[in-house]
Amino acid sequence: MSPGLATKLRAGLFWGAVAAILVYMTIPALVVLMTSFSPSELLEFPPSGLSLRWYARALTYPDFRNAFANGLIVTAFASTIALVVGAAFAYLVDRYSFAGRGVLEAILSSPLIVPHFTTGFGFLLLGARLGLSRSYAIVIAAHVVLVLPFVVRSVYVSLKNIDPRLERAAANLGASPARVLARVTLPLLLPGMAGGWLVAAVLSLTEFTASLYVTAERTQTLPVAMYGYIREYSDPTIAAISALLIIATTALMFAANQYLGLSRVLSIDGH
Amino acid sequence: MATEHQARGANAVELVRVSKSFGPVLAVHELELAIRRGEVLTLLGPSGCGKTTVLNMIAGFETPSSGEIRIDGKSVTAVPPHLRSTGMVFQSYALFPHMNVFENVAFGLEMRRLAKGEIAAEVGRVLEMVKLAGLEGRRVRQLSGGQQQRVALARAIVIRPKVLLLDEPLSALDKNLRAEMQIELKELHGKTGLTTVFVTHDQGEALSLSDRIVVMDRGQIQQVSTPIELYRHPANSFVASFIGEINRLPPARCTLEGDAARFELGPSLKLEMQACRGLGAYHGRMVNLFVRPEHLTIADASERVHNRIKARVLTHVYQGTHTLVRVDAGELGMLQLRVPGGEVIEQAPVGSEIEVALNLDSAIILAD
Amino acid sequence: MRQRPFFLAFLLPALLAAGLFLAALAFVLQYSLHAFIPGSLEVGGFTLDNFARVWRPIYLWVLLDTLVISLVTALATLVLSYPIAYALVRARRNSVRTLLVVLAITPLFTGEIVRTYAWILVLGSDGFLNSVLKGLGLISTPLALLYTRFGVIVALVQFSMPVMIILLATAIGHVDADCERAAANLGARPTTVFWRVTLPLTMPGIVSGTVVIFAWTMSAFSTPQLIGGGKVLMISNLVYLQGLSSFNFPFAAVLSLVALVLALGSLALIRPATRRLEAKVALT
Repeated sequence: MSPGLATKLRAGLFWGAVAAILVYMTIPALVVLMTSFSPSELLEFPPSGLSLRWYARALTYPDFRNAFANGLIVTAFASTIALVVGAAFAYLVDRYSFAGRGVLEAILSSPLIVPHFTTGFGFLLLGARLGLSRSYAIVIAAHVVLVLPFVVRSVYVSLKNIDPRLERAAANLGASPARVLARVTLPLLLPGMAGGWLVAAVLSLTEFTASLYVTAERTQTLPVAMYGYIREYSDPTIAAISALLIIATTALMFAANQYLGLSRVLSIDGH
Repeated sequence: MATEHQARGANAVELVRVSKSFGPVLAVHELELAIRRGEVLTLLGPSGCGKTTVLNMIAGFETPSSGEIRIDGKSVTAVPPHLRSTGMVFQSYALFPHMNVFENVAFGLEMRRLAKGEIAAEVGRVLEMVKLAGLEGRRVRQLSGGQQQRVALARAIVIRPKVLLLDEPLSALDKNLRAEMQIELKELHGKTGLTTVFVTHDQGEALSLSDRIVVMDRGQIQQVSTPIELYRHPANSFVASFIGEINRLPPARCTLEGDAARFELGPSLKLEMQACRGLGAYHGRMVNLFVRPEHLTIADASERVHNRIKARVLTHVYQGTHTLVRVDAGELGMLQLRVPGGEVIEQAPVGSEIEVALNLDSAIILAD
Repeated sequence: MRQRPFFLAFLLPALLAAGLFLAALAFVLQYSLHAFIPGSLEVGGFTLDNFARVWRPIYLWVLLDTLVISLVTALATLVLSYPIAYALVRARRNSVRTLLVVLAITPLFTGEIVRTYAWILVLGSDGFLNSVLKGLGLISTPLALLYTRFGVIVALVQFSMPVMIILLATAIGHVDADCERAAANLGARPTTVFWRVTLPLTMPGIVSGTVVIFAWTMSAFSTPQLIGGGKVLMISNLVYLQGLSSFNFPFAAVLSLVALVLALGSLALIRPATRRLEAKVALT
């Protein structure tokens, strides 16, 4: 076998393996999309036709509508609060050193490692003790804590990329620290903050395990409502909702990628 | 031995009408080059001229879009890099961080399945050659830049490659180390006799190291000559400007009158040249005149000189053995003179008016 | 006097968030130390019985199962993710790289419920995989893939791959491509280049990536819950059963803490090993 041919074969095998693995990774999403258009209640592959009935059902099902609204409320508050808290903290970590900084950093990033059911369960107990067990507040609090590490990471990376001379120049020209923050730092951080907010929002909207513990029926978010439906019914309504979620989150992640490279935000390197 | 040499051919590497494009960009254009066995050849040119692409094609890391590459007479265009028996020294050295010096140098021999004893002997021999004997156990990060470079060299030459390829080998070193390494590289070549191809953008380096230089620009060869030939007789304006310091005069119309030639650079500016040789083709045409700084002198008032140009001294740059004098020669533009010693600083101070003697006997005249 | 504008203003919210989180964990600890009163959400007096209860064989089996499933998942994820990560880093064409990034990373954000449900559709007896196999004539009775450890692992691996790909891609990105070329130049076949150069130099990333996925998988919930269907139990499912089915908060609390300790512990244990590996392959 000529050496050129051997190299081509090797390359072919490699890319063949890559393609097979990619198929494995994408098949579930494709199957969901296929199923969502199936006209029949029972699963059949390939689907016997095209129908939008499950989309109609998904979009009109009261539990889903309420859950989606809940999700929007929780996410809107949680992402925004997380953005404010997280950006402020990232600023602290970047600029100042103080006693206990490492400990605080570790605590705020530990929700990445602590199992979501532990966190969720903990907030359930906390909520009960605070008398907030059936409120949005406790759900929002749990979500804030869960998405905070991503916001902090995203803003921190952006902060590191700011040329410190810009701020010094502003100060030199007479701007007070507050002015520098408002007129120089924040505008430069805007892309990083927007990216962080988007990632936080997507993670919050799709969060399931912790939400299962802290939400009540009145406050349940969409993933929790979907879980309830899956346990009782087996028709493709969930496929329709899932398809919508897949498309929505993919679009949102594209938007987040425009502002800040995804891999930097997601560098979950343990510590 | 002689017949074996003849049977193998005098050329270690041949590039036959080699072109390479990256998408819409043509990096190398119909290149023809024969590299002789045992010579030191340098690919010289500005960044983007294609010299590194040519090196990568010889090594096999890039495949030509068209054309053929032969090593030792056999076509290797389809042969993958690990079967080509070229030894490459990368610009960043690319030493294996997880191996020590010995393991790095031994790697190529391991791939060739030499016995352990042989490997040890060869590695020892080569480390002696590059003056790193005794450092076998050191880890890469414990070595200085110069030492890392020697390990990279040792690693490439120990496998007795058919051709040694070096990609800007001295660019990462500081000035003193660079000068030292240039000498050492020449000594090394003397000991190994390996066919060597350098890539560099530093013409000083090329002039000092090479048997032959290939000047490239925008994917094409401009000239292939020995360093002295290149310096004295550049083939075109690009090479003339690229090699060494040179003064480029404004374009002139050349008129031949018998033995003499007259160059008109402007209505009032004429230069003369006696006993010109072989300028017949230039009669009546526009030419470019190039004069090396060392061929310009400050004219004595009494001296009999063909071309006297009035100029005003702008700056002196004292360099120890000589002084570079920059003058404003009016219509002729900025000229640079190279005057031995440093007396000129007093004799022709900044701002003074002098006359430059322009001897065109050693000038380079090109029609392009 | 050191100037630190905004210090307190920026610190307090972070402290509050940290405080809430710690309070939540503190309550878990508190409940774990109090007695369970069946039929009530109130708890009794201080006791260590809940912790003792964990040592019962049936619960230990669940713990062991969790560890085994997590380990198998982590290793399988590693093997499947490495080629993708390598292709991502070394791909020459930008279009290929973008395609790989999109396909590999975006699934991470669709949420676990969606992804778990998708696998139910694929693995079920009337699902995609069985339909395809039947259609090709390879089987006559459907394969039982749901409610098995295998099914759970297949889904968990696909879940974990995006994270592993990101971690591995970072590690591979740090390997100087010239080192790989140098090895080839010296005579190493592509497979040899991989085993002798690329793999050793990415070992720190491999180790830390595997452990991260291991710890992450231990807290997986919806996959074993829906795909395991009660037949495959991991710690998370046990917490759910005890907490939200039996309302035995104290025992659920203990299990939550055990899961937390296992996750944090495995990451802490691996740090010295990772540091040593990183030192070995460092260039400076």
